Amino acid sequence: MTGIPAIQQRRRRSPAAHGLSQNAPLLLGVGLLVLMVAIYLGLYGNQIGRLPGNFELTSTADNALPLVFAALGQSLVILTGGIDLSVGGVMDLTNSVSALEMHGSTGHMLLWAVIIVLIGAGAGLFNGLLIAFGRLQPILVTLGSLAIFQGLALKVLPQPGGQVASGVTSTLANPREPTAFVVIAVGLLLWWLLRRSSLGIGIYAIGNDRQAARANGVPVTRVVLATYTISGAFVGFAGLLLAAQTTGGDPTAGDVFTLISIAAAVIGGVSLTGGRGSAAGAVVGAFVLTVLVNVLFFGHVDPLEEPLYEGLFLVVAAALTALAGLLLRRRLR
Amino acid sequence: MSADVGKVADGRGVAVLWDRFKPDRRKALYGFIAAALIFVIGDQVEPGFASGSGVKTVLVVASFVALVAAGQTFVILIGGIDLSVPWVLNGAAVLLAVTAAGSNSRAAWAIPLTLAMGLVIGLVNGLGVAFLAVPAVIMTLGMNGVMQGLTLGFTGGFTCGSCSSAAPGVVHTAVFGSVLGIPAVLIILFGVAVVVTLVLSYTTFGRQVYGIGNNERASYLSGVNVKMVTVLLYGLSGLLAATAGILLMGYGGKATLGMGDPYLFESIAAAVIGGVYILGGRGHYLGSLAGAIILTAIISLALAKNMPDYGRSIVYGAVILVILLIYGRAERET
Repeated sequence: MTGIPAIQQRRRRSPAAHGLSQNAPLLLGVGLLVLMVAIYLGLYGNQIGRLPGNFELTSTADNALPLVFAALGQSLVILTGGIDLSVGGVMDLTNSVSALEMHGSTGHMLLWAVIIVLIGAGAGLFNGLLIAFGRLQPILVTLGSLAIFQGLALKVLPQPGGQVASGVTSTLANPREPTAFVVIAVGLLLWWLLRRSSLGIGIYAIGNDRQAARANGVPVTRVVLATYTISGAFVGFAGLLLAAQTTGGDPTAGDVFTLISIAAAVIGGVSLTGGRGSAAGAVVGAFVLTVLVNVLFFGHVDPLEEPLYEGLFLVVAAALTALAGLLLRRRLR
Repeated sequence: MSADVGKVADGRGVAVLWDRFKPDRRKALYGFIAAALIFVIGDQVEPGFASGSGVKTVLVVASFVALVAAGQTFVILIGGIDLSVPWVLNGAAVLLAVTAAGSNSRAAWAIPLTLAMGLVIGLVNGLGVAFLAVPAVIMTLGMNGVMQGLTLGFTGGFTCGSCSSAAPGVVHTAVFGSVLGIPAVLIILFGVAVVVTLVLSYTTFGRQVYGIGNNERASYLSGVNVKMVTVLLYGLSGLLAATAGILLMGYGGKATLGMGDPYLFESIAAAVIGGVYILGGRGHYLGSLAGAIILTAIISLALAKNMPDYGRSIVYGAVILVILLIYGRAERET
């Protein structure tokens, strides 16, 4: 019993200090982004002889788009203290469906865009139902459903192919117009609305302390179901964005997003233990990883060795975040 | 140590130990029953599936999963996870191919070198998790990228001449050789299973592993060197992944790129459907072993029935979920 008063004592600190220590991981993510952009600008300016213009800016945003939305979906789940390994499978599926249906009349495409987002939401709901009513760990449910969604994607589109109408690409990921920024802004706006709803409060409450949330009247089951459904919708849309960006479909192209969406969320300061982090963080993390690819390209790194530098960066970034958080908390204590 | 012995000698201590292990062993037993059922059902669907040679084939293929799952079980027991398995395994196979170049005499030092590489990578994972406080998911994911980059860069995308050299004879024998009709690789797996079981169940180190998995802080306060145990467990996981890489290279005849990819999710799935609790502290390696056999038997059966890729993937996922729903459920919350 002696430990409990000590813990309470430690938590008592000024609101400003509290806010700083709470947001330290996000600030670090922003710092990493600034650093990455600075290195990118240096390399680009040095080799091309001018600074990147609007075209480079919008193409970077286009490249980041699918990961931004995958990370937004992933971060929602991580905030509840879960993790979603099926992100890649859901993106495989919606990417494949997009490649088959995103052409023809505008009405047809709009209808299918809605259906694609609903497919994502349905996949999320499937995960949520198993987690909430099956009382299974999220990592296990999504490990199993990953294989199911991957299988469905292969059924829909056995090999890479299909065609996405150029109108889709120019609406969502046009390198000549800042459309990607509009799409990202809409995603952030949706998230911001969610954060301020009672559902958003429930998500953070569950992530921080499930039992306490339940005791305080948070409808845990309903919040979990809603979180996975909304997260699935974001991820489903990410699959559509991937198809728009690559102008085609590939039933395995989404696979890599499972792990990099987690990496993006963590780099952006979303805590894997739940309850801490924000959509802004997920977006920042997605951009850090995207700019890193540009940096490696202009750094003339052998494409085969890219995973090496990405892996090192991930470990160093996570270690810095962990250390800085630790030091800050100690100083503010 | 003497206190432990005293506790065990006293009848109550034995009962306590037995009670503690019972659920884990029970789940392992369910796992083996499920595996046997799959063979029985499989034999109806595909005659000859449960014949001597049929079972032997499945067990040999399952042994690679089971080896990787042994390492995965170690780290899952302390609430960790090892995502670096695919490219540690792949890197080990490539390193052996290049250094041994198909020769037995070179294999005498190439195999220990490869095993050491796996151990070192695992230890680095452990150091990152224990001392830098990097989340295990991120640390091992990053290390997977590092190993992938090193392997691809080193082999120039597998364009180097020695990359595709055949497995040294001794490695081939370690997989295909047989003693009294039992494939050598199964004997190796049996040895690993015995050692892992003994270590986890009957040594202080094993007790510490379960202790950390159940309550890291309490273990630390009661004098367990949490950091050292963590580092060692990740080291063992790397070592076992490298072992699987060497044997898998012997099985396939040579190293290939991407050969480790299926082993990430399969090793985790084998452990959890064998009753290893994903948040740590509960589970038994025998369960993971059963899990590896279940998964491999299902995949083999689907392959034997010429089930298309998509169907195999869906069945695989569905089986994992059904098994988990049967006995992987958490207590009901009040």
